[in-house]
Amino acid sequence: MDDSKGGSSRAVHISSEQVQRFCEFLYRRTGMSFAESKRYFIDRRLEDRIAATGSSSFQEYFSLLRTDADQEIEHLINSFTVNETYFYREEHQLRCMTASLLDDIVSRREPGATLRIWSIPCSTGEEPYSIALWLMENWPQVDNYNIEIVGSDIDTRALRAAAEGIYGDRALMRLSRDIIGRYFTSVTGGNHQIDEGLRNSIEFTQANLIDTKDMMQYRDFDLIFCRNVLIYFDDASRRLAAENLYDCLRPGGYICLGHSESMSRISPLFRVSRFPDAIVYQRPEADHG
Amino acid sequence: MPLIRGKNSGASSESSGSPQAALDSPDADSRWMAARAFAGQADAVPALAAALAREPIPRVREAIMTALIRIGNPASIDVLLPYLRSQDAGVRAAAIEALQALPEAIAPFMPPLLSDGDSDVRLLATELARNMEASQATRLLCELIEHEPHPNVCAAAIDVLTEVGTLEALPTLERCAARFAATPFLPFAISVAMSRISGEKS
Ligand SMILES: C[S@@+](CC[C@H](N)C(=O)[O-])C[C@H]1O[C@@H](n2cnc3c(N)ncnc32)[C@H](O)[C@@H]1O
Repeated sequence: MDDSKGGSSRAVHISSEQVQRFCEFLYRRTGMSFAESKRYFIDRRLEDRIAATGSSSFQEYFSLLRTDADQEIEHLINSFTVNETYFYREEHQLRCMTASLLDDIVSRREPGATLRIWSIPCSTGEEPYSIALWLMENWPQVDNYNIEIVGSDIDTRALRAAAEGIYGDRALMRLSRDIIGRYFTSVTGGNHQIDEGLRNSIEFTQANLIDTKDMMQYRDFDLIFCRNVLIYFDDASRRLAAENLYDCLRPGGYICLGHSESMSRISPLFRVSRFPDAIVYQRPEADHG
Repeated sequence: MPLIRGKNSGASSESSGSPQAALDSPDADSRWMAARAFAGQADAVPALAAALAREPIPRVREAIMTALIRIGNPASIDVLLPYLRSQDAGVRAAAIEALQALPEAIAPFMPPLLSDGDSDVRLLATELARNMEASQATRLLCELIEHEPHPNVCAAAIDVLTEVGTLEALPTLERCAARFAATPFLPFAISVAMSRISGEKS
């Protein structure tokens, strides 16, 4: 890559203090905290945004950001999120959902009732589509209930890709040929698009896990998948996210985290529930303080 | 088709009335919501402080503390610090956890805490170093250990150092072991800490 001179995107100098100020800003907005050791990752993205906005210095870019001119915050967040994921990631949780969680939830619900499942963050859609596929393939009761699946993320670019539902081979590596054949059609470039029925059955929305106002718009979920994002947060943001998620769940509802994440270390609000396939967290039925 | 698309995911009714008033509500859920609505608002510190002082429900207390953490300025730390002296172990633990979430903002408050006249406060303060940057935590805890008369406070500091300490802690630990040679558990804890610290770094 040529990053020498003459209007190159690498021309602006960013000092340590500036990076620190920037990280604080990003942290306040998203909960994502990057250590000094991630300096390379941060500088690269920051320099790109400075160039893309035609700013001549960090200072100029930063004031643009703070006044949210041209929705620069959205672009910035989009460039800092790490969206990579794939279908049927952590399959044991999907198994837990159909082998244990949903049966428990519907034991308190009449047939025909609506079950609400939330995938947050959903990134480019692999997770909510996996939930939908898995339910259709593996849950005998699937036709007895209305199942509503919502996918949310902070990254609007990822959400657009999710709604489009076009994936390369890497994202599909865990799916059988049979499933790919039945639910995907081939599109240009050797990619696969998930079928229209499925695309239309999932609602994609933008939400920030640590923005309490954003999160207050979501209520009454029976099951939340919140996987592989809390690892990017520090203690304070994890704690806030836990409280936000608590409010979004029905009493008795469950939350599934990524395998390296543990709610017990984050918040006492939830009860640990051990099932044969996975450890999940439950919002208690009744709260006694 | 069993999968349906919701018209809109939000089923929320924006609660009316100011969060300020709701912080006084007799209903715990309303207070919980109000506390959460204040997350990150620096001008809410006095209201949150007053609410925290009278809040009996742990879940709501924690939400108030989370709001203060999100503010994270010296004023919010000033509100949290006195709870380290609470007679209620649950409250003390919650305060520790909240302050631990602010490793950078808490740093200037550490020296006075670590030389507090109350040995219980000094002991709890060692916990606050756990999330701090390693060299800073090491420096603060070593300063404490050099002068600390109370073996239990030393033990607590050593416990934290075992996890986060750097090589700079070794001379202080050696001196501490010599000073407390007659208190059997301390030299043992120190030898564990020293081997952990030097083992990890080499
Ligand atoms: C690695 S993906 C995880 C996707 C999926 N849950 C999985 O486990 O495969 C992390 C996602 O978190 C999103 N994210 C980061 N910070 C967020 C925040 N504060 N609120 C909501 N989503 C966030 C990013 O945009 C990214 O899409």
